[in-house]
Amino acid sequence: MRRFIPGAAVMAAAICLAALAPSSAAAAENDAAKTYAKNCVLCHAVDGSGSSPSGKALKAKDLASSEVQKKPDEDLIEVVTKGKGKMPAFGKKISPEEIKGLVAYIRALPNKK
Amino acid sequence: MRLCSGIIELSGVLGKRGIQTDVAGRRGNRMQDEICRYARSAKSLIKLVIPVMLSVCLLVAFKPEARAVPSYSRQTGLPCATCHFAPPELTPFGRKFKLDGYVFTTKAQVTDDKKDHNSALRLLEVFPLSVVFDTSYTATKSPQPGTQNGNFQLPQDVSLFLAGAWGSHVGSFAQVTYTGVTNHFSWDNTDVRYGNSERKLWGKPFTYGVTFNNNPTVEDLWNSTPAWGFPFTASNVSPTPMAKALINGALGQDVAGLGGYTMWNEHLYVGGTVYRSQHIGGAQPNPGTGSGLNIRGFAPYWRVAWQTTTKNNSLEVGTYGIHAKTSPFAVTGPTDSRTDWALDFQYDRTIPQFKNDVLSFRGTYIRENSTLNATFGLPTPAASQLRHHLNTAQANAEYHFGTKFSGTVGLFSVTGTPDILLYAANPVTGSANGDPRSNGYILNFSWWPEQNIDLAVQYTGYWRFNGAQTNYDGAGRNASSNNAVFLLGRFVF
Repeated sequence: MRRFIPGAAVMAAAICLAALAPSSAAAAENDAAKTYAKNCVLCHAVDGSGSSPSGKALKAKDLASSEVQKKPDEDLIEVVTKGKGKMPAFGKKISPEEIKGLVAYIRALPNKK
Repeated sequence: MRLCSGIIELSGVLGKRGIQTDVAGRRGNRMQDEICRYARSAKSLIKLVIPVMLSVCLLVAFKPEARAVPSYSRQTGLPCATCHFAPPELTPFGRKFKLDGYVFTTKAQVTDDKKDHNSALRLLEVFPLSVVFDTSYTATKSPQPGTQNGNFQLPQDVSLFLAGAWGSHVGSFAQVTYTGVTNHFSWDNTDVRYGNSERKLWGKPFTYGVTFNNNPTVEDLWNSTPAWGFPFTASNVSPTPMAKALINGALGQDVAGLGGYTMWNEHLYVGGTVYRSQHIGGAQPNPGTGSGLNIRGFAPYWRVAWQTTTKNNSLEVGTYGIHAKTSPFAVTGPTDSRTDWALDFQYDRTIPQFKNDVLSFRGTYIRENSTLNATFGLPTPAASQLRHHLNTAQANAEYHFGTKFSGTVGLFSVTGTPDILLYAANPVTGSANGDPRSNGYILNFSWWPEQNIDLAVQYTGYWRFNGAQTNYDGAGRNASSNNAVFLLGRFVF
């Protein structure tokens, strides 16, 4: 019985961690999706294709394209933070953590198509 | 039964999204039970209930919502040219910015997230205030009798704008203007709106919003309708034709309206607003005695437009209009009835071969049908017959040399039912034959040495003015006497 209690506690903790881990990942993805929806959809469209009227007019990049996807994370973070060309800088509005989440979200866009 | 379950599911969905308040929810449940009882016993109610429920859903969904202004630029971190080909002409990005409620920003905000019992907060760190300073010179071909020709105004107008995001979904374009002619400030075009583009309808992007505004068509997204149409600048001292359709600026800043709009799939725009006279600056509550246009009840305005955008092309075709019952100088008694039906189009072509210069074509046609019972029945009648119509046609073509120069050629024509009392004789401004016909052209050349400074020269020529080419006012003045050169310096900061 004594052996069983610590074992059960460890198992319960493991189950809790297992349950929490995906939910925190899901929460992070959800936060990134919200950040994307508020800041990026206007030009890059929901699917990242840049097919919104604004995106077409401004010739916004297709975020799922190989041209964007082959860039390292650091480059994407810099573009979002400091802006480039017609894209404005978001560094004063979005925190570095949120920008990292946003880059992860952009990385997942090709799989969502 | 299917209807009942459909209603229950619909209520459940709305409840889960937190759209209904508890009280409204309880009321909704009681209403739902009632509806279900009746629906079981009388299938004929289906035809009534479905539209009612759809209307309720739309009402629940619609929660309470330019001229180029630098505060938008400060808010978005984007140059003026992102939203404007040349102010106030909106690019697709500018239209979307307006559609979403003027709220897009890339700048730091004072924020607090919604949690527990707390509301969220999204405040711009920069107060969204802008100034437009206009100075001008106007000269007509012949001086207006008894006045000096060649009229300098420093300033012609000075406008202050509260233009920017008020929250995460609410923003404004609110303008107060000092005018040299009247030597005072007055409330100018205003559009406060709620916009939400976070939803989908039938799997496609869906934006909806609510607008409070004071000028029919000021809420519109295109530059083919009157409030934001060509000419974008004008002299306030040169004579203009007297016949004007109601929707063509006659109600501007004199009404208050509440409306809603939707954009589905970035293509279909549907909007509507109901207006009521406010006569700002006049006696309140409105006794009606100070105005020839007192809206009785509400005047509905409608707008339907279809747009499509490709990499280098943007096309819009649409219709809009207003119906108003009004009383001259009274708020009781007989009414005049006016219905304006209009068509419009706008086409913008970006030309990559010419460094992305933009060629724009815009046009509108307005048909006004009126029955002037009240005006005809005044103690001193101001109309000699009851029924009238007025046709207004305007079209223009503009070439933008980058963001630095633009040249525009515009044509306009007004025709309608002659009436010697409605279009009465008066030196310079009146018509000797009661004919509302006027037509002519406008040429404009603008130079933008910087995106917030406009130096423009505009020439307006008349072939016919208030019904005639020569001696139109019975006092010897010709239509061409009103041809005018207008020079403008506009500074926006």
